[in-house]
Amino acid sequence: MKAFDKLYRDHVDLIYRFAHRLCGEPEAAKDLVQDTFLNAYRGFERFRGDAQVSTWLYTIASRACLRMRRRRKGAPDRELSLEEFIPTSDGEFRLQIPIDGLSPEEALQNKQLRHALDTAIDQLPKKYKMVLILRDMEDLSAKEVGTIMGLNERAVKSRLHRARLFVRRQLSAQGLGQAEPDHEHALLG
Amino acid sequence: MAKRQTSGQRPRSSTTRHQHDHGKSRCLGILRQLSAYIDDELAGDICHEIRRHLGACPNCEVFVASLRQTVSLCRHSPAPGLSPIDRAVMRQNILKTARIR
Repeated sequence: MKAFDKLYRDHVDLIYRFAHRLCGEPEAAKDLVQDTFLNAYRGFERFRGDAQVSTWLYTIASRACLRMRRRRKGAPDRELSLEEFIPTSDGEFRLQIPIDGLSPEEALQNKQLRHALDTAIDQLPKKYKMVLILRDMEDLSAKEVGTIMGLNERAVKSRLHRARLFVRRQLSAQGLGQAEPDHEHALLG
Repeated sequence: MAKRQTSGQRPRSSTTRHQHDHGKSRCLGILRQLSAYIDDELAGDICHEIRRHLGACPNCEVFVASLRQTVSLCRHSPAPGLSPIDRAVMRQNILKTARIR
């Protein structure tokens, strides 16, 4: 029990962050976290330490997420082809969002931009979304992502590239106005 | 970078067409490698070739910048945290379910 408590204490925030990014809303993320740690609790003695504990937990969470999705019986993932990301008009080459001269942290204080980014990521087919979240948001290596998802590195990189191009295209189509920081941030400023 | 031809769109004349003397297949070749390029995973000679292309192709250069910005926004995107109460309640639920089953 002590070992499980330590595992939970050390990793619950990490897995919740991942779950929230995957699910997009708190209650589903909490369900996923509980499912993940329940499976970890049961499999704890079988964990041989071949991978890092965090990689093991990401793997359990990813599988739990796919199981939850199968239960909802959504449409199967569509494939993204590179052809569809070739711009068709001049406006599509750059991001139509007000971030010039801003650091990413400053840019993301714009609520509209955060919403546009979250929406773009949420619209990704699940298998691409998971790769993007693990690689670009959770900052894992392509090798670690491959271990978690049961893919070789080449497949990880291919999916990651398409996922990034998808999100880029969604943001280039947004046409957001000038940066409007959150209300509370504006008050602080 | 060459634009994709959409249905109903008239081909542009040679004078207004994006100034490429290397053709759109070169841009497509670049498009395929852009993530590897910005992740610094390509061999030096390929990087050099891409940089040379970007210097000659403003659209590709803008496109690469926009892809870099996209990745950077993803990397810095904030995620909400858990409250101490949430952590405690979830722990209770996990242990309760583990004992029941």
